[in-house]
Amino acid sequence: MAVSNSVSKYRRLALWCLALAVTVIVFASGHSTPRKYPERKVVRFWHRWQGDWEKQVQKIVDAFNQSQTEYEVVAVSVPGSGADAKFILGVIGGDPPDLMSMGSGAVPNMAANGFLTPLDTLMTPAEHKAFFDESYPAIRDTGMYRGHCYGITIGADLMALYVNCKQLRDAGFDPDNFPKTMQGVEEMGTKLNQHDKDGHLTRLGFLLTDIAYNSHLFGGGFYVKEDGTLELDTPQNERALETMVNYRKKVGLEEVLRFQAGLNDIEGAASWAFMHGDLSITYDGQWRVEELRKFKPELEYRVYPVPPPKENGTPLGGLVGGNYMIVPVSGKQKQGAWEFLKFWTGLDNPDRAATFYNMGGWLPYSPAVAKSPTFQKWLKENPQFQAFLDILASPNCKPPPPIANLQFLNDLITHAEDQASQGAETPKQALAELEKKFKEERDKRRALGYDE
Amino acid sequence: MTNRTNYRARQHLVGYLFISPWLIGFAAFTLWPFLQSIYLSFTRYNIVSPAKWVGLANYRMLLTQDPLFWHSAWVTIRFALISVPLAIVAGIALALLLNINVKGIAVFRTIFYLPSIVPTVATSVLFIWLLNANIGLINKMLALLGVTGPAWLKTAPWAFYSLILMALWGVGGSMVIYLAGLKDIPVHLYEAATLDGANAVRKMRHITLPMMTPVIFFNLVMGIIGAFQYFTQAYVMTPTGGPEDSTYFYSLYLYNRAWKYLDMGYASAMAWILFLIIILMTGIVFRSQKKWVHYGG
Repeated sequence: MAVSNSVSKYRRLALWCLALAVTVIVFASGHSTPRKYPERKVVRFWHRWQGDWEKQVQKIVDAFNQSQTEYEVVAVSVPGSGADAKFILGVIGGDPPDLMSMGSGAVPNMAANGFLTPLDTLMTPAEHKAFFDESYPAIRDTGMYRGHCYGITIGADLMALYVNCKQLRDAGFDPDNFPKTMQGVEEMGTKLNQHDKDGHLTRLGFLLTDIAYNSHLFGGGFYVKEDGTLELDTPQNERALETMVNYRKKVGLEEVLRFQAGLNDIEGAASWAFMHGDLSITYDGQWRVEELRKFKPELEYRVYPVPPPKENGTPLGGLVGGNYMIVPVSGKQKQGAWEFLKFWTGLDNPDRAATFYNMGGWLPYSPAVAKSPTFQKWLKENPQFQAFLDILASPNCKPPPPIANLQFLNDLITHAEDQASQGAETPKQALAELEKKFKEERDKRRALGYDE
Repeated sequence: MTNRTNYRARQHLVGYLFISPWLIGFAAFTLWPFLQSIYLSFTRYNIVSPAKWVGLANYRMLLTQDPLFWHSAWVTIRFALISVPLAIVAGIALALLLNINVKGIAVFRTIFYLPSIVPTVATSVLFIWLLNANIGLINKMLALLGVTGPAWLKTAPWAFYSLILMALWGVGGSMVIYLAGLKDIPVHLYEAATLDGANAVRKMRHITLPMMTPVIFFNLVMGIIGAFQYFTQAYVMTPTGGPEDSTYFYSLYLYNRAWKYLDMGYASAMAWILFLIIILMTGIVFRSQKKWVHYGG
């Protein structure tokens, strides 16, 4: 009996040891992400790209890791919807990434709340001069907050019109003789619409969305000036929203919603509705040029900047957005993060970085990259990209306002557009409500002691 | 005497040691944040900087200067008012159907229960496709009947009703509880009623429903709590609050305030108001149970 008890005791002890060992191995061993260069300093990089984009990002990371011997960048794709919340939790938990790509709209708020490192503090005087002198102003200023640079882009976005040449020709239009006014495109779009026997749209000729962007073609834009002046409910913005809503009404509010809901382009580059001929003239971003080259090279298309309205228009207007690289204030390897950022942006070598911009069809941060031989070669093969460079170089291409509650303002703009597009409010009412809500929020923030 | 006291104390200690992992976890990850959030609701707090005391300002602004607070609260209350009774009726109806002894009933029960164990995000993505205006199964089926279905998630008020419809998808979970309740009703009550000449409707009215009230009460309380905390489906299917803010639920607004606008103090105040509303509603239901819940049998 005593022997049996002793065996059982040993067995129990062995089981406890085994459980302990497994726990230690699972929780305390190594890194979940494999390291290729374990002897180097690790730079943890979170980004929001997935699918084919993630592969391109990994290629850039690999190129950096091979280019030097001090750092190893480890890239982790974090799903976009919860990326900012994960970043905040990382900062609170004392374990943030060293570098992260963040939506430009979140940068001022994060900067104002002390989450981000001013990147100008990581720059040498020469780099500082080069960055501030050479960058496209709109791209540079999108990452600025209160005189400091908190975000540098490696993937800024602009929008333009993609045109299906065959569909235009079939309808009797010359795709190389594109209308110079918005009204002209609307007329063309109406003729390009196609319907089934029940009157439902089967092909959408043209539709303009995104008031935040397209208000710039009307000389407008949604701004909060440094002195607190609001430029939200302005005649220019109202005219822009009215133009968009009136055209939508012409096509049919419900019909457009129904058609858009049925488009099979929720995710994935290869399923873009324009590639399948469901859209004749469509409003989209510059990254589609590279996607078309990869996934639909046989499609003949053109890209044109959205033309301004016939009267009081501002050509080549637009608003910069997209992915901005930030360094958390509590990042452990800031210098490594900065080295990688320089490598990717091309601050130290524009021609090398041109390849990276081309891989994702991204907009370069400076004319130096755009004029580099590598970029120019790619541009010759993908001439449609030029439209975006034209917009970028225009003085009418603007950054969003550098205000702490930019996310809130962006949500209000989206809501106003939604209200007007659905016919729930007139454009005038929607914009008045927008400005009223923004003022209320500002008063609330002031009462709570926010300095902005 | 001392030995017995020691023994008892040891027994208690062993008991607490056994539940200590849960107790520690509860204290660290639920109780402490819960108490902390009371303090934070009286502050301006963005996580990285120290919280700054603002007194009742967050509560005052929520109640007097924030129309979205009232709107999102109303969306949530409306959702609770419609979806909770609907889920109870659907759950009982299903349970009654699945209480019939026919061949293969176990298979039917499994089929109806399965949706309730599908993860919420997966269900939401599935419904995005089902409710697609052009290619969705629901509109295709309506088209067979000659009805043109709406652009469900893209138009108000259909987006709201889409989420109500989707809430019924998970009714299998409560259905199992109702089924257990039905099985618990003594057969002799029905036998006596049959002898007294009661028809099926009278049996349902005077035996089944009264005997089921404890189960209905339980599901009502859980349903109210669940409805007031409704978030995931709205966040996945209509992340911006839906057309005309028709699906801007209270929890979604709270989440945006906390994680998007970094107003943790304001969001804490919202969370406490939500907590008080839930306590109040649950309290009302509990007080009302004397009048309609029968603990017989």
